[in-house]
Amino acid sequence: MVHALSEARRVLKPNSILVDLRPAIEHHHVGILRAGRYRELGTTRERFDPDRAANRAVAHVLGKRLFRQEWRTQFECDWVFATLGAFREWISEFIQSGGLSSHDWLVRRADNATRGRRGESKIVARAALVMRVLSKEGTCHGERTANQRGHARRPTTRCS
Amino acid sequence: MRVRIDPKQNEVRALKWVTDWRLKRVLDVGCGDGRLTVRLARLGALVHAIDPDGKLIRKARESLPKHLASRVRYGVGKAEDLRLPDESFDVVVFSWTL
Repeated sequence: MVHALSEARRVLKPNSILVDLRPAIEHHHVGILRAGRYRELGTTRERFDPDRAANRAVAHVLGKRLFRQEWRTQFECDWVFATLGAFREWISEFIQSGGLSSHDWLVRRADNATRGRRGESKIVARAALVMRVLSKEGTCHGERTANQRGHARRPTTRCS
Repeated sequence: MRVRIDPKQNEVRALKWVTDWRLKRVLDVGCGDGRLTVRLARLGALVHAIDPDGKLIRKARESLPKHLASRVRYGVGKAEDLRLPDESFDVVVFSWTL
């Protein structure tokens, strides 16, 4: 991961930025959306080892002053499944990618909650995503900063 | 459509805060099926998108809207070995890649 960040730095122009977008270290919430109302069915039980390793890699390049963190924001992202089959497919892909153990219990809950109401209900998986903006460090003195070039115009309320 | 991702467009809203994407040369690393690539191109970026999975790149090429074809170039590639010239991009995006 550190190597990937170093490669990114190499191809970036001076004072340019890297955007790191990925899920926060939080479980996905799965629920039912019916008549505009969300009802929770459960949360996924994924492992966070890869995400923690990615955070360590980012901390490493910040520590080495290869990048500087301009800002960080966190927001919700929904996956809205039209059918139970689509939800099952998503869970299967998740399991295959190594992120989850079997979640048959969650599929069963979704099946029970939507049974007989297929047209009215949608299954929703809700994740928190984190977006970090890092600017390339180590450029010539006197060059304009990323902010001055119009990047990362405003910090958000969840800056760190 | 069987799955709608981010119907509230929170991701696009966050991307808009990052920079003015118009005519920015952007490298999208780990583009997958090109979902985020298309969003970046719609914001005006010129996107070079790579992913190690050739099948996903083929799918991304097939689903790319024609009006964005001039702004997007897809290729198979790895984050650890970019094989691209030094200092050639304004923004690098790691989309679910690290």
